[in-house]
Amino acid sequence: MSGKIMSLTQAAALVQDGDMLALGGNALTRIPAAFVRELARQGRKDMRLVKTAGAYDVDLLCAAGAVAQTQTGYVGFENLFGLAPSYRLSVEEGRVQAVEHACSTVIAGLRASAYGLPSQPVAGLEGSDVAALTGFRQVKDPYTGESTYMVPRIRPRFAVLHVTYADAEGNARIDGGAFEDVLMSRAAESVILTAERIEETAFFVEKPDRTAVPAFMVQAVVHAPGGARPGGCHPFYDIDEDAVGAYLDSASGAESLRAHLDAWEERDHAGSAAASGSVV
Amino acid sequence: MSVALREGAAEDVRAAADRMAVFLSRFIRDGELVFHGVASPLPMAAVVMARNTHAPNLTYLNIPGGVDPKPSHLPGSTVARQLMEGALSYFTLTEIFDLSARGKLDLAFLGGAQIDARGDMNLSFIGDPASPKVRLPGGAGSAHILPTAGRTVLWRTVHDARSFPERCDFVTASGNVEAVVTPLCIFKKAEGRLRVKSIHQGVTADALRAATGFDLGDLEQTPTTPEPTDAERVALHAADPEGVRQREFI
Repeated sequence: MSGKIMSLTQAAALVQDGDMLALGGNALTRIPAAFVRELARQGRKDMRLVKTAGAYDVDLLCAAGAVAQTQTGYVGFENLFGLAPSYRLSVEEGRVQAVEHACSTVIAGLRASAYGLPSQPVAGLEGSDVAALTGFRQVKDPYTGESTYMVPRIRPRFAVLHVTYADAEGNARIDGGAFEDVLMSRAAESVILTAERIEETAFFVEKPDRTAVPAFMVQAVVHAPGGARPGGCHPFYDIDEDAVGAYLDSASGAESLRAHLDAWEERDHAGSAAASGSVV
Repeated sequence: MSVALREGAAEDVRAAADRMAVFLSRFIRDGELVFHGVASPLPMAAVVMARNTHAPNLTYLNIPGGVDPKPSHLPGSTVARQLMEGALSYFTLTEIFDLSARGKLDLAFLGGAQIDARGDMNLSFIGDPASPKVRLPGGAGSAHILPTAGRTVLWRTVHDARSFPERCDFVTASGNVEAVVTPLCIFKKAEGRLRVKSIHQGVTADALRAATGFDLGDLEQTPTTPEPTDAERVALHAADPEGVRQREFI
């Protein structure tokens, strides 16, 4: 292996304390779970997280005390397990600043960055308290005089995306729902990929229109089979509800969270260890 | 929310889930573009069943982006990969927001932790946003969809005075709400305020008043919600044989 392939340890070390990260996937589907566990193991602090709908990824980093701010439309475990306990507690205790968004305003902020603009008009929000609370300002369109809310640019340091297929240079294909991953890759300064499968470049040449993220945008590629677990990843595996439940049981204390991170450590590193020929 | 398992509770949950899924499905008109989001098992079941009852020509949109999927089974997470299965095209959440902004989304289902007398909803905070008593998940797409979609139908599986206050602690979203479906009744929004359209069978007007935090006015002439028909029950059980819709209650 060559190119931008690196170990999970090395890729997570690219992230500095205080960085803003856009996390790919949605709720419990195709989330960069192995990557956020490694950030927690490395003791990263003051992360600023961007996501439309988060669950395990945002909650785990909150449990680890790694988060200063979230910009999200939703954080929770849906009807599987309800509220996200560590996110909730961190916000209620004032340790995490939760910037209130609609999913569409997260998207608008990312679009502003992707489009090279300072802010982005967005439809909707009328009658909602979100705009006033978060400070989205209204402007008059210079042509029609119509009022519209403007969302300031959201420019993450990295988009961290768990993709189905990547090559060593960072070309990435996403099978199944791509959610906001493609937009995140364009909005961020750089991209870190974790991938279920590392494919030869010929795989991408065959159908270049299916390459969601081109190599030139990508800084690091980690082979991380199972890297979305306990979330699901089409077409390889479904959400593991028992494992999500085990996380929620462990997230309440520092020791049990450490045990959770330890329990996943070998699996998280197995792909990159195999790729580099080292022994786990 | 957890439900203490008293005798008959499982039966109550089954009945309430069936009713709410069927009642939600009745708001879908044939040929409409219909959307539900995250944490939405009841609308998911309602949309899938409606294709086999009165709305065979609906178009089903969801967050994973599968247009008109034929899921092998209904997933507990309503953004899971099953909602891409059998889809012929792919339309992302971003594109769904844009569609709604253009005025082309006919109907969306959205849930609220609080729904108030004006039909506004809260999924953000209980208490003061600066120092919340409860940090709720956030409203996902609701602040965008409520004012821009042609019609929205809200639902909540708990009907009590805290969930249905005169005014929400925080208005996450406000807009084109047609109706609200609860385990006790269906509200219709008229002249800026929720009115009881019908009360479900077995629920008394007094019980409904006691469970609601805002004034309901005169309920003398309020009809009873027609129970699910045999055809609706058959279609619902075919759409969701595993009872994923019940997960909203436990």
